[in-house]
Amino acid sequence: MNLRAIGCNFQTAAVDLRERLAFDPATQQAAVAELAARYGCEAVLLSTCNRVELYISRPADEQPFDLGLAAEFLGETHKLPTEKVAAILYEHVNDAAVRHLCRVAASLDSLIVGEGQIAGQVKQAYETARLSAATGPLLNTLFPHALRTAKRIRTETGISLGHVSVSSVAIDYVRQVFSHFDDKTILVIGAGKMARLTLKHLQALAPGRILVTNRSPQKAVEVAEMCGGKAIPWEKLDDALVEADIALSTTGAAEPVMPAARFAEKVLPRRGPGTLVVLDIAVPRDFDPAIHDGDRVCLFNIDDLTRIREQTIAARHKYLNPAEQIVEQEVKKFVAEWDRRKSGPVIRQLHTEVDKVRSAVLTPLLSKLNGKLTAAEKESIEGAFRLFQNKVLHGPIAALQAASQESERRTLLEAVRKLFGLREGEGA
Amino acid sequence: MSAVLQNVTHTCFGLSYLLAFGMELARLRWPWESLRIIGLTFGAVGLITHSLFLAANHPTPATAYGALLAVAWVLAVFYLYGALHYRKHAWAVFVLPLVLGLVALSFTMVSQPNETAGFTSPPWASGHRFWGAVHGILLLLAAVGVSVGSVASVMYLVQARRLRKKMNPLGGMKLLSLERLEQMNRRAVNHAFPLLTAGLLLGGVLLKEYHDLSDWLSVKVLATVGLWLVFLVLLYLRYAVHVPGRRLAAFTLVAFALMLLVLVATHPLADASAKPTPAAEGSP
Repeated sequence: MNLRAIGCNFQTAAVDLRERLAFDPATQQAAVAELAARYGCEAVLLSTCNRVELYISRPADEQPFDLGLAAEFLGETHKLPTEKVAAILYEHVNDAAVRHLCRVAASLDSLIVGEGQIAGQVKQAYETARLSAATGPLLNTLFPHALRTAKRIRTETGISLGHVSVSSVAIDYVRQVFSHFDDKTILVIGAGKMARLTLKHLQALAPGRILVTNRSPQKAVEVAEMCGGKAIPWEKLDDALVEADIALSTTGAAEPVMPAARFAEKVLPRRGPGTLVVLDIAVPRDFDPAIHDGDRVCLFNIDDLTRIREQTIAARHKYLNPAEQIVEQEVKKFVAEWDRRKSGPVIRQLHTEVDKVRSAVLTPLLSKLNGKLTAAEKESIEGAFRLFQNKVLHGPIAALQAASQESERRTLLEAVRKLFGLREGEGA
Repeated sequence: MSAVLQNVTHTCFGLSYLLAFGMELARLRWPWESLRIIGLTFGAVGLITHSLFLAANHPTPATAYGALLAVAWVLAVFYLYGALHYRKHAWAVFVLPLVLGLVALSFTMVSQPNETAGFTSPPWASGHRFWGAVHGILLLLAAVGVSVGSVASVMYLVQARRLRKKMNPLGGMKLLSLERLEQMNRRAVNHAFPLLTAGLLLGGVLLKEYHDLSDWLSVKVLATVGLWLVFLVLLYLRYAVHVPGRRLAAFTLVAFALMLLVLVATHPLADASAKPTPAAEGSP
């Protein structure tokens, strides 16, 4: 194995530099094809908002692709000084590179441990490289193995349990109250960036109606047009709250938009028996927390949602050790399988050659004794020769299969070839 | 075959339900699929043995013993259906205790063998078996409705508490949404009320026809009338006053307590002092 994983991530490079080093989908395919052609290697290029990494494999007897070459390639591609790029790169070699890829795919190396996007991004990077004919035997084995490892970790540990975005946590709460949404009214109060993001999640629930209100009528109309809702005047906020099932509030108001007294007086008595869920993600808060009773009104503000998010992240860290153990098992398994695969042709050749020798000795002997032996005796002699052959070959084959280091395995392969007179390239 | 059926006892299905409940509790801590399957297997074994027991012994639902076992059986079917349908929710954790409770309560009634023995068979139960059976079935179905409503109410109260405390929505046991639980409660009560009303009216007609005024003052009759009144209040609170779901859930639990009283109370016809039937009067 002559494998390198070289790159930078959120721990080694600032966001502005990562942005400059990133590849968009349009340029990624061309870049990985050029990388493979220019350096005569197998290559996969992984580019996400948190990392840019090159996975490079060259034939075992060739000079490895090193950090300097990676810096040169990235620097040239993005028109950055090579030294500046080299300073932020890390490099993992062979087993460590396998381990790194498994950890990346399983999101153990992510900013938020257990996030689900990275496995898809790794898969996409591999597919892009494969379609560009930039991959070969090693990377075609390694990437599917890493993705299987990630899946195993997700299934066998709780590392991906729960949601870690504020919007997703908000939706989880909404789902605790409502089971269907086609008859529900969502009221959006304010038009901040956060409102649009959470509204996207709420829209995915296919609500019956969306109302939008804002101090600026123009902004309300904009958001309403964006989400297929209806803009209503700010003065009708109380009426809209009476009709709403879910209220999403993100104004930039310095004072609470809905004090408890106003809610108790103008909204609650006019509402039907249904529950109102208020998602108050404004800072400072728009709704007085006192209106929350967990029955008629369920209010979740940014502090509640952030607390759940942090709890989820902390809970995921409990599963780091079991996940790392799985990574270690899978790295060992991959390396052992790869080594076996590399030794396989030589072992097959060895068997073929010694079979020929056995046949060359046994056939004349049996011809000489023809007529003097019964069929059973003939079979016994053939069996004894086969047993002898297996006993003689057991030592070298076991040593080849057990060789854990690349250098040791290559030495042994060379020795076996010389000792048994095998020619290189045959038996593959 | 009948010898095998005779060997099926309370312990067979009671223990099976208990083990199924144990598996479901363990699943709250270790959410493994294997525990769910083992739990479902025990639940299914419980239901089968329960059915065999009822088939072999056919206890009359007119007695507390038979009524409790019959309601428990219907709820066990409800449990198994829900456990298969809502595979990710803590369904069994709420329904199985109710099944176990009813089975345990019926077990205590085994020590009252005279109840069934003392059950005098009036003309409407022999000559007019049909109306007696209709009366019993209506009240049993109403009892099932109240039980389902009370299970939904307990789940509602737990879910509302989790929301009030703003607990992690994906942590702990997974429950149905408040809306779904409220709907389940509403449907159960809405279906149970006409059944209870019809059963009660029919029972009243049969009592008036064949029994003394004193029978009207038996605990069973009074508790059934009380249960009907509670239902009336429950419907009024839901549809006229629009009280919050938590209060409705609590009120449904009151109805359930009354229903238990109705089920365990002695049936007026089990009283040996029942008025002689016209047929009996005419006989020598």
